[in-house]
Amino acid sequence: MTEGPGEEPTPAATEAATEPAGTQAGTLRIAMQPIVQTDPGFISSDPEVLVANHIYDYLVDITAENEIAPRLATDWQVSDDGLSYVFTLAEGVSFHDGSPLAAEDVVWTFDRLRDPDLGLPTSSLYENITSIEATGDLEVTFTLLDPNPFFLFDLSDNHALILKAGTEDPSVFNGTGPFVVVDYSPEDRLIAEANENYFVDDQPQLQGLEFIFFSDQTAQVEALRGGQVDLVMVISTDLFQSLQNEPGLELLQVATNGFDLVRLRADQEPGNDPQVIQALKLATDRDAIYSLVLQGFGEIGRDSPIGPLYAQYYTEELALPGRDVEEARRLLAAAGYEDGLDLELHTPDTGNRPNLAVVLKEQWAEAGVNVEVLVEPESVYYGEDGWLQVNLGITGWGSRPYPQFYLDVMMKCDAIWNEAHFCDEELDELIATAGTTMDEQERVDAYQEIQRILIERGPIIIPYFFAQLGAINDQFQGFEMKAFPGRSDLRPVTFAGG
Amino acid sequence: MSAAFSEAQVIQQSAAPSWAQRFASTVKRLYTRPASAFGASVFVIFLILALFGPFFAPYGLNQIIATEARQPPSTAHWFGTDNLGRDVFSRVILGAREILTLSGLGTLLAVISGTLFGLFSGYQGEWLDEVIMRFFDSLLSLPALLLALLLLGVLGPSSNSVLVVIVIVYTPIVARVVRSVVLSVKNKAFVEAARLQGESLGRLLMREILPSVLPALAVESALRFSYAIFLVASLGFLGVGVQPPSPNWGLMVKEGRNFVNQIPWALYFPAGAISIVVIGVNLLADGLKRALQAPGSE
Amino acid sequence: MSRPGNPEKPVLNIEDLTVAYRQGDEWLTAVRQVSLEIRAGETYGLVGESGSGKTTLVLAVMRYLSENGTVRNGKVELDGRNLLALSEHEMRKVWGRQITLVPQNPQSALNPSIRIGEQLAETLRVYPGLRPAEAKRRAIELLEMVHIADPERVAQSYQHQISGGMQQRVMIAMALSTEPLLLILDEPTTSLDVTTQAVILDLVRELIRGRHTAALYVTHNLGVVAQVCDRVAVMYGAELVEDASTRDLYKNPLHPYTRGLLDSVPKLGETKDKVQLRAIQGQIPPLGERPSGCVFRPRCPLAIEVCYERPPLYEPAMDRRSRCHRWDEIDRGEGERRKRAFRFGGKEHSAGGKEHSAQQPPPAAAQMSANRVDERPVVLNLQDLDVHFPLGRSLPELIRQEPPRKVRAVNSVDLEIQRGVTLGLVGESGSGKTTIARAITGLEAKTSGRIELLDVRLPAKLSDRDLETLRHLQLVFQNPEEAFNPYLTVGESLRRPLVTLMGKSNKEAEEEVARLLEAVRLPPAYARRLPGQLSGGEKQRAAIARAFASNPDLLICDEPVSSLDVSVQASILNLLNEMQIEHSNSMLFISHNLAVVGFLADKIAVIYLGHLMEVADARDLFEPPYHPYTEALLSAIPLADPDAEQEQIRLEGEIPSPTDIPSGCPFHTRCPRFLGDICVEEVPPWREHEASGKRYFCHIPVEDLLESQERVFVFEKQEQ
Repeated sequence: MTEGPGEEPTPAATEAATEPAGTQAGTLRIAMQPIVQTDPGFISSDPEVLVANHIYDYLVDITAENEIAPRLATDWQVSDDGLSYVFTLAEGVSFHDGSPLAAEDVVWTFDRLRDPDLGLPTSSLYENITSIEATGDLEVTFTLLDPNPFFLFDLSDNHALILKAGTEDPSVFNGTGPFVVVDYSPEDRLIAEANENYFVDDQPQLQGLEFIFFSDQTAQVEALRGGQVDLVMVISTDLFQSLQNEPGLELLQVATNGFDLVRLRADQEPGNDPQVIQALKLATDRDAIYSLVLQGFGEIGRDSPIGPLYAQYYTEELALPGRDVEEARRLLAAAGYEDGLDLELHTPDTGNRPNLAVVLKEQWAEAGVNVEVLVEPESVYYGEDGWLQVNLGITGWGSRPYPQFYLDVMMKCDAIWNEAHFCDEELDELIATAGTTMDEQERVDAYQEIQRILIERGPIIIPYFFAQLGAINDQFQGFEMKAFPGRSDLRPVTFAGG
Repeated sequence: MSAAFSEAQVIQQSAAPSWAQRFASTVKRLYTRPASAFGASVFVIFLILALFGPFFAPYGLNQIIATEARQPPSTAHWFGTDNLGRDVFSRVILGAREILTLSGLGTLLAVISGTLFGLFSGYQGEWLDEVIMRFFDSLLSLPALLLALLLLGVLGPSSNSVLVVIVIVYTPIVARVVRSVVLSVKNKAFVEAARLQGESLGRLLMREILPSVLPALAVESALRFSYAIFLVASLGFLGVGVQPPSPNWGLMVKEGRNFVNQIPWALYFPAGAISIVVIGVNLLADGLKRALQAPGSE
Repeated sequence: MSRPGNPEKPVLNIEDLTVAYRQGDEWLTAVRQVSLEIRAGETYGLVGESGSGKTTLVLAVMRYLSENGTVRNGKVELDGRNLLALSEHEMRKVWGRQITLVPQNPQSALNPSIRIGEQLAETLRVYPGLRPAEAKRRAIELLEMVHIADPERVAQSYQHQISGGMQQRVMIAMALSTEPLLLILDEPTTSLDVTTQAVILDLVRELIRGRHTAALYVTHNLGVVAQVCDRVAVMYGAELVEDASTRDLYKNPLHPYTRGLLDSVPKLGETKDKVQLRAIQGQIPPLGERPSGCVFRPRCPLAIEVCYERPPLYEPAMDRRSRCHRWDEIDRGEGERRKRAFRFGGKEHSAGGKEHSAQQPPPAAAQMSANRVDERPVVLNLQDLDVHFPLGRSLPELIRQEPPRKVRAVNSVDLEIQRGVTLGLVGESGSGKTTIARAITGLEAKTSGRIELLDVRLPAKLSDRDLETLRHLQLVFQNPEEAFNPYLTVGESLRRPLVTLMGKSNKEAEEEVARLLEAVRLPPAYARRLPGQLSGGEKQRAAIARAFASNPDLLICDEPVSSLDVSVQASILNLLNEMQIEHSNSMLFISHNLAVVGFLADKIAVIYLGHLMEVADARDLFEPPYHPYTEALLSAIPLADPDAEQEQIRLEGEIPSPTDIPSGCPFHTRCPRFLGDICVEEVPPWREHEASGKRYFCHIPVEDLLESQERVFVFEKQEQ
């Protein structure tokens, strides 16, 4: 099934010196959507993160339990006032081109990421940093303006992969990561080999990785079934069901805070009238969606990105209005649409979103809303004039370790990915508070208030949080799929087959 | 051998058969052979479904009943329900209207345009004919589906684009067929007689030449229709030019692939519909060819 | 002349044969109770038009009927053996051995992918079972037997590389190779040119009559029968109506149909001012619609009460039979034969009446004499007309930059037609006569030269001509089957020119249509019929009506009667004449049939390979001096009179291709009076015979011709 170059793992190491015990074996073939961005500063989709994650390294990593783990930084110190962080870097790390990792590389990387002129998605994220200095050969110090309880998480943002200082073209693959890119054809696949000189002992265990691009989910699953690939992540519930009794596969399921949201732009007609958005919410039957579209793989959503995974922040005490078609009609009439409302609903063609669109169309029709469904390839929906511009769209959001991220990136008035073009001052203040206070209780209260506001007048409908579904060839062991699948770590994965 | 019949070249019929009589006799001839009878019946049934579908469909095309999702065929749902709880039988029937009107209209337009080109090009001949035919040859050299995707990429996916695509893809073939008949007819004495009598080009093409073209054209139209149905279904399968929740059979097949192991009926019935209609119309075309060639008819 | 062979043992004995075809639930009788015998050494002619049953009879004899045909009754004995009782296995030993066939169309009889010699050898290897080397040798011998020069070359050739005449010779060789008991020839010369036909007929006479092979010769051509056959059987409407020796049949036919046929066909040399054609009125009855009683009754000028009973086959004399109740009256001369007429005039005779030639007061048109013709205004003037078609070049030719070859269909033709005059244009295949007609009408564009109609120069292409021009010039086509749009009624087709060319309204046109139909003697009700419901003759009449709709000054008729039955041809020719008298139009009459042209035309032009050879008044053409080609033509045409005397001038070789016209005089390659180098190198001058006004294209001076030429053919004096 797998086309590993070797047959049996040989007992003695015959490879290059730095690999003490356990030779690498097996090539893991991963099916995924094509990647567009290879510059770590601009990556966004799951596949792009997964690739970059293994070519480069983060300063610190986030475990499956949402905890911070060392990666390039072996140790760190936080000052009492929370404004200064000193990181010690690992020794013996080198980039794939041979040059050694030094503190300057970390400084350069983060300077780039926070530079407002370059306009990377992270520029607002790192606004709070006042300075970054190389205070030693392998020591970096960050100084903050305001304390940030989530700073370590922020430093492990998907984009924060460490580049070599002075890199002219960051889209060229030159990282410190466990795998080295051998061949990349954008229409077909990306092939990477184990990095012999990887700074972590015993890692990686695999000989190589092959990222094979498919734009059709069904095709990915078929390839898995047929043995042409070994791992597929991010599968819709239907496809997952179809793999139930397939021999030779291990099914993967992890609860996440990932969700699909439906949003109407709040800055133009008809969404600029909050009654319209309310009407749409009232016309939505979440239970039906949960059973039909999600088939139970996940949780029902309550229109806020703070999901049940964040046990300390999530609350169900706030009343969520049930489905009320009559009221929806009334609100629409009040807003001036008694004869009905025509909307175009854009959605990418992956996951459960097309089915969600079709179900919503049917449900909203009862309230007099006429929806025309427009299913688009991901490259179109997430491209220019796509999700950030359309009037009504369904967007998928991956799981994050802490909810503040969504609020900062999506819900603030000036958020870089404010796809609903929504602006509410009270909400903005609460978001700022929750994001900066070091007082945990204050934060909890702020989040609860945010949830209330979002239910009451928020521009987004979040019908569910989905479980992340995947499947892997059971000859590969030690794989743990993370809630944001792109951050899954393939370094410890071993190949037990022959 | 027809030699003996041609010995008695005098044909005495009591009256000139009217168009209605000729139509009736062609239909009768279609029904004498089982294959073409099947084809004609399939065509008629689906025509009725296309025209009166909504009357026959017990449920709406996107009528989602969450509690009845994924049911196998039963008395309540003859073809079962799909993953979203929609009645497959209703969607297949309503899909008939969509596919047949799109491909039917497209074929009609392609036939008209192809006939005009074929008549004109075949009659005028010389360099005009060469230019047009070589251009059509270049279109014909591309497989229909490929050409369709190319054009849809340019025109943007929508049902109107699909219509334009059908016309562009099939006009060359129709033009070829028409042209070949024109070439054989235009040198006949009665056409030359008409020219000698000063008939205008329009009259020559329409009154003198076109009637001889009609039998071959009828057959070719039926054949093109079956291909157009398949093209529309194929485009639907690729997800091009059609959006959910459209009951386009091709799209239903595409969606059905995702859960063919759990609810195979959601895929097999629309796939079956495509097969039956395409084969049926194809057989109809074949039967028409024989019926119109039978001795005694024009 | 007494019959050869043994009366006790005829080679072929057909007794009471009845053959029918099944169509749906009906049986259509194609051959009804026909009996005849062919003895050894006899060449037996079987004459009939379409629907007569002659083809079916032959098929039945050969046991080659189609699936829906059956022999209902009777027997066919070959040398005493009943063929109909044989199994297919046994029949296979008869086919190709004891009965052989020379078919009408040698192209489809010869295998196009096997060389000629091999095809012959193949049959010899099967029967009589020669070894390959011997068969090959014998094949060459057979080719020599049929006078093929260079038999080795022909044996190596494929069917498409040899001419039609040569193909037919090969077929004859093949048919004779097994020394059959019975040789059937099915219209073997119908597709050949007159001059080629003459050679084949010579061959038939030499090889078959000379050999005591029994032969059944099927044809519709009365001239051929007269020259080749010992006996003739005439079939009409599935029945045998007369059976006699050739001489008896032609001299004294005892059935009104036979007489009608003979009267309706123009004899070579008879012109319209001397003779009147008697057309047989009516139509051949279609298969399955037999009239009650005598099958010929509805069309018979002698029909009386008793004819409602089907006549038996009477035997007026030994070896003479006639299926007519009144044969003895005919024998005694009650019915009149063709009369000499001083004027042309003539309506059809009504059935049942005693026949009388209806002598009308003479209209003005007597045959034009040369002198009077030249004074009349000229309607059509062709000057130095060339029509050439370039052929595409092959790649090697292109590379060598050779100029493209051309089909020189028409070369330097000068012709004039005066008002009211009929000019006949006669030629064989490849002569260019049809091309001239198409160039005049503009259907083909001339290459050079002038075409003037009523003193107006005509543009080469039809599309460049205006309606006014089209009005003056109309064309009657050769094939009446394709002359009408099958989807329009006759009336609609006739209306069109009235509306387009004459500017009439639809209503006026309708009335005019009725008038036109009447003028061509078709019932006005025909206007509502589709062309498929008319017979061939009726269609041609309608075509003539259509041509006259615009009252043209010049009517071009391109072989208008060639595809019609013989009995129908006369009425069309008569009609054309009548229309001309009424409308005073000129006519250009094109045909390969010199007898028909001679009858109808005032002047005749003979054309060969696109060049005019001779132009003369009709009556003068048949007298010397002749152009050598005309001389050869006249001697090649089989005369419908077994006692006629005729020169036997035969042309060597084949007609050259119009792409490769011989230099100098185009006829020099075949000319029996070839002079020498001058004919090869120099283009001949036009010479004139003062006395008759005829002009011809030859190096031989008039005096020399007059000295060496005799009248090519002479008929016996006819009785009044």
